[in-house]
Amino acid sequence: MQPETIQQQRGTQYENLLRLLGEPGSATENVSALKATRMRSILNCYRLAEAYKKGTKVAYVSEQFPTEIVFAMGAIPWNIESMAIMLAQSVDVNRIFQMTQEHELSRDICSFLRGPFGMMLAECYPSPDIVLTNDQPCEGLSKMMFMSGKRYTAPVLGLHSPNSVDDDSLNYLVKQLEQMLLRIAHEFGVELNGDSLRAAVDYSNQARAYYCKTLSLLETHRLPGVSRELQEIFGMNYFGTKENVQVCKVLYEEAVELVQGEQNSGKRVLWIGQVPEESHELLRHMREAVDIIFWAPLWEANSVMLDEAQPLRSIAERAILYHWSAGRMEKDILRICDAYGIEGFLIANVWGCRNMVGISPMLRDVATSRKLKYLTVNLDLVDRNNYAFNHVKNRVDAFLELMQ
Amino acid sequence: MSKSGPIHDAVQAVTDLYTNRLDLLGAAAGPKIGWLSIDTPEEILFAAGAIPFRLTGEVGTSTDEAAARLSNNYCSYVLSCFSEGLAGIYDFTDAVVFADSCDMRKRLWEAWTRDVPSIDTYFLELPNDASEISKEYFALHLRKLIKWLEQRYRCVITDDTLRQSIELCNRTRELMRRLYEYKKGERQFLSGEESIQIVKAATTGLRERFNTSMEVLLDTLAAAEQTPARKRHRVLISGSYFDHQGIVETIERSGADLVCEDISNGIKYFEGRIDPGADPVTAIADYYLEKNTSARRLDTDVRLQHLLDLVHEYKADSVIYYALKFCDTNLHDYPYIKDRLRREKIPVLFIEGERNTTNIAGTRTRIETFLESRMF
Repeated sequence: MQPETIQQQRGTQYENLLRLLGEPGSATENVSALKATRMRSILNCYRLAEAYKKGTKVAYVSEQFPTEIVFAMGAIPWNIESMAIMLAQSVDVNRIFQMTQEHELSRDICSFLRGPFGMMLAECYPSPDIVLTNDQPCEGLSKMMFMSGKRYTAPVLGLHSPNSVDDDSLNYLVKQLEQMLLRIAHEFGVELNGDSLRAAVDYSNQARAYYCKTLSLLETHRLPGVSRELQEIFGMNYFGTKENVQVCKVLYEEAVELVQGEQNSGKRVLWIGQVPEESHELLRHMREAVDIIFWAPLWEANSVMLDEAQPLRSIAERAILYHWSAGRMEKDILRICDAYGIEGFLIANVWGCRNMVGISPMLRDVATSRKLKYLTVNLDLVDRNNYAFNHVKNRVDAFLELMQ
Repeated sequence: MSKSGPIHDAVQAVTDLYTNRLDLLGAAAGPKIGWLSIDTPEEILFAAGAIPFRLTGEVGTSTDEAAARLSNNYCSYVLSCFSEGLAGIYDFTDAVVFADSCDMRKRLWEAWTRDVPSIDTYFLELPNDASEISKEYFALHLRKLIKWLEQRYRCVITDDTLRQSIELCNRTRELMRRLYEYKKGERQFLSGEESIQIVKAATTGLRERFNTSMEVLLDTLAAAEQTPARKRHRVLISGSYFDHQGIVETIERSGADLVCEDISNGIKYFEGRIDPGADPVTAIADYYLEKNTSARRLDTDVRLQHLLDLVHEYKADSVIYYALKFCDTNLHDYPYIKDRLRREKIPVLFIEGERNTTNIAGTRTRIETFLESRMF
């Protein structure tokens, strides 16, 4: 697509987005007490506005894509899936899903993927200059990424992450990353610059170090809001920037302060699966009785520091570790249970997430073996047509009663 | 169509291999290795002296237990294969190879490993494109598979044994290609159901018997009277795992011919040929990655171009796009493929279904309406 066309489109797309999110009914409550949260919100607003500006290089990326290489190329990563959660807060959500159905996208597909498709149909996302995808967390997202490239006639570059962590797989992924870097440089008409990748890796590691120190504190302390903020940092996936280092540093410092005034906030439940926005009624309801911490930000892959001498190799390793794998996840969740003193599981099976439902039996087996209470709930966190709080409330209440 | 006579008999001799596969496999000498995805390199399994056969998921009558271990919102092919494993249908089997052909099959591999411990499993990495580095990587994993088989069956798989099995499988591909040449004509010797059953017979692993019966069938067809036939509406079916007899019958009873099955129980299984002169492992890796035009491949344009080529080659008048419920990649591909087919003025009907559904009245009405408006 011609740069002039992209720039014209972005002006309209930005107005459309503001109109969508500005509708009455948008969630503005639950302003977090954490400074890190407020900083991240400002950063989010800034990058969101930047992505619609003239001359900005926008790269659509999938979840857990190695954003260090995007920043090294001077682009802004636009995570199409995590943006879908914004949609959940809009009263116009039904219109967006209606549009996807009019385009004959099946309602059986996860709403975290239908949502972004609808946002694209409604011309609310900024036109991308490039689409970068791996196959995490699912093949459905890869397909959606491919389709987004076709919609905007932007080049689509894909990575295939194998399942096994061994030299052959790492070498294969490193070669793909090298080719991808060359292609991005070609598409953007820039020279490959080792310094910018090194800088992004350095920022990523600095942020990661604070992130890991915060995780350590969370293991043994009840720190209100901290798990949620880690979840947001994980979802935003802005590793590779100076601003993210600052957010992670401030969160760590606040966590240290919270340790001083720690109060017991009930038994600890691990929320496994996709996470709703902070003001979601189910979360609010459960928080009155238990301390909820979120699973994904605790994954082993989040603790991988990048090797500055061989960054692509460690990026490859991290990418494979992010893959759904019942075997690896079983070991990891046992570690999490021990380290964080988990007393119960809330397994959130979001409609359409095949990987999550596929590994649920393993999670239930782990809970049984550890004598942990667990509850599996089927819900839809974006499309309200597929879920009603009242339908799950009785079961949740029974679970909370058991937890007492 | 072959209702009776020599063609019918010759077709039945082939399809009997599929109909009686469980008894035949149970009685056959040598280890049996199951597989689910047509990306599984049968040549390597044959070279190990094993009998590779496809799990079809059509014997189990209920998927309740499988759904309890995975989910109700799962591909019905995956659930029915799992049900068969849980029910002990494949007790004669030594192992099952799971190629990384979709997320749900990957989860099935994990569930199978946990819940069907009597049958061993092997997970085969499978890239989702056909780049040079992906071919190289896939070849590495084929060599790992070879090593696993050599240790398991105390055998040595040499280039010569691989070449022999390549020859055996290429022969099948050639015979199937010749059979499908007949489907390009106006006179249809085979029903859609027979075509699908013949492909299924090829996947039973009883390969030499299959090739011999196919030669007889092709000779019989060659000797048949080539009388001209009235042109009927020609339908191509594309999409997920498909073998729904009721849907095929509906198409044909409506007065149309199912002339091409762009599915794993159709042309996708036997297309192309492995280069017999090249290094065998490299040639096998290249073949399987280049052949892959399924929804699993990231670049849907490859699949779409292949579909358009088939529509042209088989002179199809319309396309039925069949997606198994919850088959995400096929569901994602549909809006894109539909747009392109409509731009090309190729009518397309979307059907979302389940494998073992018996109540297809609604689907039948939609097919009949779709075809009727185009035939008369």
